Amino acid sequence: MNCIIIIEMGTAAVKVFAFDLSGNLISSSKGHYPTFHEQTDHSEQDPEQMFITMLYILKNLLIEKIYPKKYTVSCICFGSSMHSLLAVDKDGIPLGNAITWADNRGKKEAAELKASALGEEIYKATGTPIHPMSSLIKIAWMKNNDPAKFGLAKKFMPIKSYIIQQLTGSCVIDYSIASAMGLMNIHNLTWDQAALDFAGITPEELPALHPVFYSGVALKKEYQRVLKLLPTVKILIGSSDGCLATLGAGVWDNGMATITIEDSGAFRIIGDKIIEDSKQQIFNYLLTEKHIITGGPTSNGGVIFNWFTKQFGDFPKAFDIDESMEMLIQEAEGVEVGSGGLIFLPFLHGERAPIWNPNARGCYFGVNIRHERKHFIRATIEGILYEMYSIGRTLEKHRDIKGLSINGNFASIPFCTQIIADIFNKPVSTLSHGDSIGRGAFLLSATEMGIYPSLEEASKTVTMHQTYYPKAENHEIYAQYFKVFESLITKVADEFDIISDLQQRYS
Amino acid sequence: MNQLILQQGASKELVHFPHILEFAHKKNNTIQLNSFSSNVTDCICLYYILEGKFTWIIDLQEHTLYPGDFAMVLPGQRIGGQSSILNIGALFWIKIATEDSGKLLLGKWSGLTKKEKISVNQILLVNKEQHVLKLKEAHLLLHNLQAELQNEEVGFYTRANQLLDELFILISRQLIRQNNSRRDFPQTFLKLEQTLRQNLAHQWTVEEMATLIGMGTTAFTEKVKNYSGFSPLNYLINIRIAEATKLLKRNEANVTDIALNTGFYSSQHFSTTFKKLTGYTPTEFRKNKTPDQ
Repeated sequence: MNCIIIIEMGTAAVKVFAFDLSGNLISSSKGHYPTFHEQTDHSEQDPEQMFITMLYILKNLLIEKIYPKKYTVSCICFGSSMHSLLAVDKDGIPLGNAITWADNRGKKEAAELKASALGEEIYKATGTPIHPMSSLIKIAWMKNNDPAKFGLAKKFMPIKSYIIQQLTGSCVIDYSIASAMGLMNIHNLTWDQAALDFAGITPEELPALHPVFYSGVALKKEYQRVLKLLPTVKILIGSSDGCLATLGAGVWDNGMATITIEDSGAFRIIGDKIIEDSKQQIFNYLLTEKHIITGGPTSNGGVIFNWFTKQFGDFPKAFDIDESMEMLIQEAEGVEVGSGGLIFLPFLHGERAPIWNPNARGCYFGVNIRHERKHFIRATIEGILYEMYSIGRTLEKHRDIKGLSINGNFASIPFCTQIIADIFNKPVSTLSHGDSIGRGAFLLSATEMGIYPSLEEASKTVTMHQTYYPKAENHEIYAQYFKVFESLITKVADEFDIISDLQQRYS
Repeated sequence: MNQLILQQGASKELVHFPHILEFAHKKNNTIQLNSFSSNVTDCICLYYILEGKFTWIIDLQEHTLYPGDFAMVLPGQRIGGQSSILNIGALFWIKIATEDSGKLLLGKWSGLTKKEKISVNQILLVNKEQHVLKLKEAHLLLHNLQAELQNEEVGFYTRANQLLDELFILISRQLIRQNNSRRDFPQTFLKLEQTLRQNLAHQWTVEEMATLIGMGTTAFTEKVKNYSGFSPLNYLINIRIAEATKLLKRNEANVTDIALNTGFYSSQHFSTTFKKLTGYTPTEFRKNKTPDQ
């Protein structure tokens, strides 16, 4: 029996999935790696640790779970988080750690570029909003602030390219990951000259560009041997977490969109055209040259509720945050819709879509003497979801959306799913299978192998588990509070800059 | 109130306690020049404030201590009063000799098991930058210790040393509590990982790791497995191989040094473990490090 292995290099962990050719999950496993914050705004990961962790987890899964069941691996496909950047020297040796999407060190470079005509030109060409998250800004930062390292760097690549290069010896990148670097021209599928000039690099300093279906690389013999894989095993370079999650969310239909909320989150749609946005609020990433994933990301998803729980939750058992969260949610369920007029701006991590302001900060508004902890719990959750709604509304200017599918551990909490349905006033469906990134990567691999005639057909095999319908009376309340939420953000825009500046200066 | 300053060699009360270099319960009524000048200590110095407000410089950092505060200074660290004076107030202090040229903080006098001694050692050293603790419980303990030393009632030798052990256990637990919120496992685990990385050559045991973050071994192992996907020891091996990979690529140290520095027993042990995971021996890997394109 044949099987497909998916390796997903996520933000906090590598996940490895094994699917049979019908799409049944045989087994999965994860391995955590740390993120280091040596300075404020910095967010880095050790590429060697990520590689070794991946190898360890992959090997154990194959030997303990897959081979004993008599499966043969026919294909290995990769997914990973977007926007990471690693510089390597002439021998291919990493110059320090990989920088993650959450790193904000390039705030100044991003602000300057965004305010210029060149910034608009690059945004239009690359589809990536001008923001410190993008590899473009990270390289520009290194050029300006770490010239020694920049001088030694022979190649700049996302972590996924590094992992594939360790395994195969080839330095390659897929359109999905490349289109999220802020360096690829998504209209003509080459590295964008204006972006390269701004970053101060040449195309030779980047990996070779390939479609997500590219399989022209082969595992080194040593890894074939140690993983007990056949020389014929196909290595599919695959796509990004965002594109794969959208493919795995079953929203190919024009009227559908998908919401992912894990620690961070995103609102995404899929289409055959790049959607131009004069306000530069949305991204366009390529699944393939014909299939564009358009949407907006938030930096303030479940991580904010996590923060709230750590600060204000009860911990009957040491370190058991899951139980503490459940208790808080239970408390929030007893609070009226709209949290008695308490409104929360969730921008503890600054914000990306739709305001793209790294200086944005959090705020509880409307507190009165009758508010208790339970109102703050519910307001925190509602605030995170209002923010998702404001991203969704940006997309709705371009596309008529009738229904939503959701995934991610925060969005999938039934209490949150119902609030999403009520705020959006649309039916919201959960997916039958668990991980939509893993599912998306399976569908991509299976399409490449000819099991499905097209990605569209593959996506149609995704089934919905349960649908939450909006309650009109709740939507009416949320709609009124949302207006306050939205106008608050505009009204305190100047104060965001002032307070963030003061925070940097005095803490 | 009874003032007391006992010194090893001068006070008969300390004859049976060669490890206690000094024990003092002092009420300071006047400010005198050079009453507390800055010195690098060669023993463990512990202070507990009873009255007043003391401003001290410990390892270049200024600390203001109030009643209920406890200060710990380890061998090699520097302590002195601001402007070299001892402020007005009352305090206890005790100075304890270490063994094995400062490496073993709790000497033969201690009744802790070998494992517990290693753990306390580890905790104090890892947190050695944290000089000041809130430790009100130390008050009664030091008071009782004073009584044991002065009264020499039956069993005083054992009791006094037990009280010292109790004090060190108290300090260790408080250090762990102050550093770990017991709410944030990812943060606690990251700190643990950094501690492991700082001393990768050490043969860490699961007990030691668990103790560092104040958990029992079983709960710790389960939590780590759940969070990281690895058992604690496998997670450690993972870090070791990743670190060794970096050193191999850098092409500076020889393979045996890399093996020992990253915590493998021998170059053979390193070679076997490395090959089992990567398919290369360390030497082959080093030759092969250049990517093909």
